[in-house]
Amino acid sequence: MAFLATFYWGWLLASLLLGLAMGWVAVVRRGAGVSRMAMRWLAALMVALVAAALARVIPGRPGYWLDLGLVMLAFYLAGCAAGSWLRAKVIARNVPAA
Amino acid sequence: MHGLFRWSSKWWPGVLPLAVLWVIAAWTSTSPLEADLGVRSTAALKNAVLDKTRIEVDGRDVTLAAEAFSEAGRHAAVDAVATVPGVRLVDDQTRLVPEASPFVWSAERDVVRVILGGNAPLPATRGRLLDGARADLGGVEVVDQMKLSRGAPPRFDDAAMLLIDQIGKLKDGKFIISDTKVSLAGMARDLGGREAIAAALKNLPPGFSVASNEVKAPPYVFQAYKDPVASTLTLSGYVPDNNAHAALAAAAARKFFSEKVVDNLKPSIGAPQGFANAVVPALGALSRLSTGTLVVSDREVKISGDALYEMAAAQIRAALAKDFPLGWLVKAEIAVKPAAAPVDPTVCQQLFSDLLAKGKIRFESGRANIDPDSAGLLDRLVETALRCPTADIEIAGHTDGDGEDASNQALSEKRAQAVLDYLVKAGLPASRFTAMGYGSTQPVASNDTDEGKAQNRRIDFLVR
Repeated sequence: MAFLATFYWGWLLASLLLGLAMGWVAVVRRGAGVSRMAMRWLAALMVALVAAALARVIPGRPGYWLDLGLVMLAFYLAGCAAGSWLRAKVIARNVPAA
Repeated sequence: MHGLFRWSSKWWPGVLPLAVLWVIAAWTSTSPLEADLGVRSTAALKNAVLDKTRIEVDGRDVTLAAEAFSEAGRHAAVDAVATVPGVRLVDDQTRLVPEASPFVWSAERDVVRVILGGNAPLPATRGRLLDGARADLGGVEVVDQMKLSRGAPPRFDDAAMLLIDQIGKLKDGKFIISDTKVSLAGMARDLGGREAIAAALKNLPPGFSVASNEVKAPPYVFQAYKDPVASTLTLSGYVPDNNAHAALAAAAARKFFSEKVVDNLKPSIGAPQGFANAVVPALGALSRLSTGTLVVSDREVKISGDALYEMAAAQIRAALAKDFPLGWLVKAEIAVKPAAAPVDPTVCQQLFSDLLAKGKIRFESGRANIDPDSAGLLDRLVETALRCPTADIEIAGHTDGDGEDASNQALSEKRAQAVLDYLVKAGLPASRFTAMGYGSTQPVASNDTDEGKAQNRRIDFLVR
């Protein structure tokens, strides 16, 4: 993983920025989120994929693509979390002022 | 924290562009990544001793196929690739090189090339053997047909290098190492090559032994050609050493009284046993021929040419049959020269005088036994006597002034008689000859010097 981070930091940075933007928007976005049930299934899927990657059961190129996808997703989620948290901070400061 | 969980349910729209990014990243990065891992895996194996190494990269998984020379080397190679950063899995397809039993290595030499074949224990050894062969045989093609195998005996490299150093001494042949047994066959390039190879084999590493050494030496050749037109005797080929050379040259000078000796002999080791004892009588036979060739090749003597008269041919054949050391083979092709036209007695006298001016009939010191070295001269005298069948000839013996007159007189008579006997044995009628002894009464030079005495000790032929 460390090797991938240094080898393709550009793609990872793009994922991080995408996540940051999505997180920023998500706080104030109206509309349906993913249901609680679907969240559970998605979480289970994520755990399964991470387990597959760590166990190195998928061979060759698909295995590499899985690793790449998971790392990019991890950076995306980190970006989302940071974006949402920052946006929430900004809103919290503005509300008392208004 | 609760907020984060709530917001996260709305993060999903970004996953779509993320998926696009992921596809593009996968599309563009896979080939460069595989190439990079391939290069670095190869670099990691730079110092590993492997054969037939093949590295294939699929994603981040490396397939390593190679032949290793030991179990430890095999594991080390796999570990080296596994620790390359970025490599996820190593598919180990390495195996040990096959073990050869017996472990056979060969070096074969022919006219234009050297073929190294059989087994070599390591790539480095193979390289060293090839380099060694190229260095020893500048300009000769070196063909590598060696394959790598395990199971070489200890110090194989030293033994093989020693043989490589000897291959230049072969004209053609083959060296084989089978486990610790060394076999050699072929023909040495030069005289002495066989001995040099045998000497080098004494330095084989401990544990190695010579199973068979069939390296043959090239024939040891000595040639002599008597040319009556140019009046030369040409000697060529080999003699054992400088002493033998001097002895042979002296013998040739004594036996060939009227020919100039052209000496092209070279000293070389490798002479067959009894060389000098065979060549000297062979030269004696050649000296009695009008024209002839003598070829001594190893222990075979071939002599061919024309004797001066019928009886001489028979005598030469008889002498060749008994004069040679044991184990020597003699092939004689002695023909008889056609008889020369008869001449006038006065011409005959001139021919006798000419012959006796060029050479002298020699005897054992103080005795009346004719020296065998004078056979060539006597044959020429017989041939001349045959050309004037009507002339009566006096054979006159003379001595130098040393000693008592009575004994000199007796010696001169006996020596003249010995020559007469030789002529009669050669088939001339005794009635035409008279043997006379004059002691020291008719000197032709001063008896005060050794040179003068030598001139006075003589046999003259006088046509009456």
